[in-house]
Amino acid sequence: MSWFTQTIKSSLGKKYIMSLTGLMLGGFLLVHAAGNSSIFFGRAAFLSYAGHLHGLGFLLHAAELLLLAIFLVHILTGTILFLGNLGARSSRYAVHNSAGGRSWGSATMPYTGMVIFCFILIHLFNFHFTDHSRTIADIVAEVLARPFYTFIYIVGLSGLGLHVSHGFWSMFQSLGISHPKYDRVIRACAWLVCGLITAVFILIVLLLLVNSNILV
Amino acid sequence: MAAKIISLNLKVWRQNGPDKKGALENYRLENISIDMSFLEMIDVLNEKLTVEGKEPVAFDHDCREGICGMCGAVVDGIAHGPEKETTLCQLHMRHFQDGQTLTIEPFRAKAFPVIKDLVVDRSSLDIIIQAGGFISVNTGSAPDANGIPVPQHKAEQAMDAAACIGCGACVAACPNAAAMLFVSAKISQLALLPQGAPEREKRALSMVQAMDKEGFGNCTNERECEAVCPKGISIRNIARLNREFLRASLLSDEQG
Amino acid sequence: MQLDAKIPEGPLSEKWDRRRFENRLVNPANKRKYEILVVGTGLAGASAAATLGELGYNVKAFCIQDSPRRAHSIAAQGGINAAKNYQNDGDSIFRLFYDTIKGGDFRSREANVYRLAQVSNNIIDQCVAQGVPFAREYGGTLANRSFGGAQVSRTFYARGQTGQQLLFGAYSAMMRQVAAGKVTLFPRREMMDLVVIDGKAKGIVCRNLVTGRLERYCGNAVVLATGGYGNTYFLSTNAMASNVTAAWRAYKRGAGFANPSFVQIHPTCIPVHGDYQSKLTLMSESLRNDGRVWVPKNSGETRDPVDIPEEDRDYYLERKYPSFGNLVPRDVASRNAKEVCDQGRGVGETGLAVYLDFRDAITRDGHDVIMRKYGNLFHMYEKITAQDPSCRPMMIYPAVHYTMGGLWVDYNLMSTVPGLFVLGEANFSDHGANRLGASALMQGLADGYFVLPYTICDYLAETGYNMHDTNHDAYTVAEEHVVQHIDALMKNRAAGKKGLQTVDDLHRRLGRILWDHCGMARNRDGLARALALIPELRQEFWDRVTVPGSGQELNQALERAGRVADFMEFAEIMVQDALAREESCGCHLREESQTEEHEALRDDANYAHVAVFEYKGEGKEAALHKEPLVFENVTPTQRSYK
Repeated sequence: MSWFTQTIKSSLGKKYIMSLTGLMLGGFLLVHAAGNSSIFFGRAAFLSYAGHLHGLGFLLHAAELLLLAIFLVHILTGTILFLGNLGARSSRYAVHNSAGGRSWGSATMPYTGMVIFCFILIHLFNFHFTDHSRTIADIVAEVLARPFYTFIYIVGLSGLGLHVSHGFWSMFQSLGISHPKYDRVIRACAWLVCGLITAVFILIVLLLLVNSNILV
Repeated sequence: MAAKIISLNLKVWRQNGPDKKGALENYRLENISIDMSFLEMIDVLNEKLTVEGKEPVAFDHDCREGICGMCGAVVDGIAHGPEKETTLCQLHMRHFQDGQTLTIEPFRAKAFPVIKDLVVDRSSLDIIIQAGGFISVNTGSAPDANGIPVPQHKAEQAMDAAACIGCGACVAACPNAAAMLFVSAKISQLALLPQGAPEREKRALSMVQAMDKEGFGNCTNERECEAVCPKGISIRNIARLNREFLRASLLSDEQG
Repeated sequence: MQLDAKIPEGPLSEKWDRRRFENRLVNPANKRKYEILVVGTGLAGASAAATLGELGYNVKAFCIQDSPRRAHSIAAQGGINAAKNYQNDGDSIFRLFYDTIKGGDFRSREANVYRLAQVSNNIIDQCVAQGVPFAREYGGTLANRSFGGAQVSRTFYARGQTGQQLLFGAYSAMMRQVAAGKVTLFPRREMMDLVVIDGKAKGIVCRNLVTGRLERYCGNAVVLATGGYGNTYFLSTNAMASNVTAAWRAYKRGAGFANPSFVQIHPTCIPVHGDYQSKLTLMSESLRNDGRVWVPKNSGETRDPVDIPEEDRDYYLERKYPSFGNLVPRDVASRNAKEVCDQGRGVGETGLAVYLDFRDAITRDGHDVIMRKYGNLFHMYEKITAQDPSCRPMMIYPAVHYTMGGLWVDYNLMSTVPGLFVLGEANFSDHGANRLGASALMQGLADGYFVLPYTICDYLAETGYNMHDTNHDAYTVAEEHVVQHIDALMKNRAAGKKGLQTVDDLHRRLGRILWDHCGMARNRDGLARALALIPELRQEFWDRVTVPGSGQELNQALERAGRVADFMEFAEIMVQDALAREESCGCHLREESQTEEHEALRDDANYAHVAVFEYKGEGKEAALHKEPLVFENVTPTQRSYK
């Protein structure tokens, strides 16, 4: 077995994969959040951002494919880890309790992962695999004006927030980046990034619920 | 001040053998002195069962001063019970209330099959050490002890990690039954000391491989291990293990 | 019984060299043809198994715990001595030798103790190389502290967990040999009998503690490293499973038992606080470096210790022993604690405790410094007693801790049964009548790493590598004997007798007899009384003991019953030995033999010997043999720590 397959097949190797793909997905989220915040500046700004994005042409498609690949690897590895972990404890405890280590985020990682997956499917069907004869601004305004979708989006985005709240710090830990000098900074960054991404997306959703005219 | 004597309702896991089906059984204990240790409380239960003509509860224990790592059970869902940095033998009954119901279960993990009642087989931890938890120096071939200076803080950090008693509570408490805290403690101790340097990469590769082979789960950084560890071993050691393994995988010439 | 100590000729400092040269060797290619059984995996057993494996022998290592890492050596807190003289304070091999032999009150062999001091330095080198995280100075060199009975700082330590760290070193070395295929581990096995064929130790019968099955193992030599018998007293600082069984069964197969009455009572333990108590907890002797021992000046003192002013405190060790102060050897400290408690000045609920106070040390060095040194011990004390020693004095009282006596061995660590080697606390060799602090770890590792691997070679070379297999009649006889023993323990319950007693009840009563009559101070009448009580209790044990379950499964009550049955027999030679030794020495204080100041008074004219008991058969009195102790390099003096 080559060193590479041996590494990625090991439990730690899988964690590296989770961290690295998580890092890239986090990077995508930041860019996505930054782009989407053009909505705050109205229809013109948003359409201009969308126009520039689509102007990338081939590059955009390549990026999409790459993102899809990263995403699939993250999900696949996560699923393997989840099943492996279930199997590592053949008999369950009669009484479950936490000694204080777990957080909501860490305890729900696989489940928030599934929520995010479903949410992304809905999100893609809403905005990607849809009739593109109208502008993206019209589509977004229409979908997010409906309270049903507001609810779905808030649930999905909360799941995302919870997932990232553990995932970001966990990524550093899994890659072995831990030092008394920098621990607090890493913690702070984790909360900041998680809070920022979630806040931006949720604000957009709420904004469009109360005022869909911003994109008209 | 609380009463010096308390009564307890116990639900204790009884299982007659590795392949037998187990179940919780109820017992009532009166007149438990709050100065007793948890294991002395089980002693009292066992004396009572013996006199009543029943089978006493099998449980592992030896030094009863918190250092041998032999004892351990899950009390109300927490390995070694509710007190921080305390083994079961050093947990005293003054931490419980009169009339409280306690559920006592064995450490559960696929890699720790139950032998009987609260006794589990933790030999998988020894197998991991066999894979590389040592420094290869034959008796007699050591240089003078002061030959290689070790910075005090490094020695202290190594000692922090070396304090692991191998009780397996980290595995029992981990939602994924992972043995990362145990493995990382040994890897850290030897990686922090200059004496461990020659085998540093090989050690990280082999010990992780052995850990995976023994059927432990994967770490998801839940920190439950650190929370129950009777010796306060930090998950900083797990980060170091992650680093050591990554470094060894990417840079070493060794095959694991 | 022949007691030939086989001490090499020549000057003291050359004896060990000479022996190593005289020893026959086994050709490296032939070593793999030998099989050695090592019973016990504490410091002595694990270090021996590892070293023998490294040399190329095939080793089978047996332990009672689920993992060799849990042997009771792990509980040693304070440290390990070595004559490194790193502190430049005048230490030397001869000084370590002298302190140890004097600490043992001149009841050990000069040659053995000198060898121990010689190899002490190698041990530290070896352990550091294995990655034992000893305490260090800022510059990176090793730190030392001082310990009872010595005026130099020669004790190396790893916080309060030195035994644990040294054991992990030896354990890891052994695990390396397991991986290399040279050592095979047999955990959760209890040795039930020694198999002797043609007068030589050739194998053992074990009980698999998980399945209850009896197993036979054969080898070219058997090494016992099965620890001490402090648990005879029921309450001791030993681990729950520590026992005399392996040594006792070997005794019954012809191994002489030396100085069984030499039991060290450690001065700094947490006092007894209830009937349910299963064991006593030691607080490291190192605490006496900074803690001051005192009791109230007047009996009937009711004030809280922090409210008792300086003038009403009696720092009795500092008062009586101005030069050693709180650092007098263990036997002296223990006896003095008993004395002040007997005067009615003891403290705590039972009046059987003295204070160990850190107030002055904290004022002098600051809270942080003291916590760095003793934090884990303070923490442990607080867990057990719910009191914080940094705010109020600890309460301590002596408790049974270590047994200097053990199976008799010659200079080569071989018992009176050829092929049976005994290491560590299980043998009697190096500590005389009292062991100094931080010397047990030194002796265990010296025996295992540096002595046995050389001396066993000579025996193996002589006897060759041919082995009997386990079908030999001797194994069948031994196994049948074990089966009968187990059946006898189970019979009362099976017969449905009424009024049965649990193993612990009976064991507790044995402990009481010994503590009262063969404890810190002994006298003729008390010992004679114990000698009458023990056989009665033993009879009651066999008539009344109830053991639940069966022998064919994991049965912890049966394990305990077997061990207690042996304690019941063993206690008798322990008391006989104490009765026969009509002098005081080290731990053994005969009230009839004291100086005017109540210090132990030796009688070198009549008792400068090792007392060795020989088994003469069931129901027969053991024969007492004597190995005279000859002092050519030191002159036995009345110990003085004033």
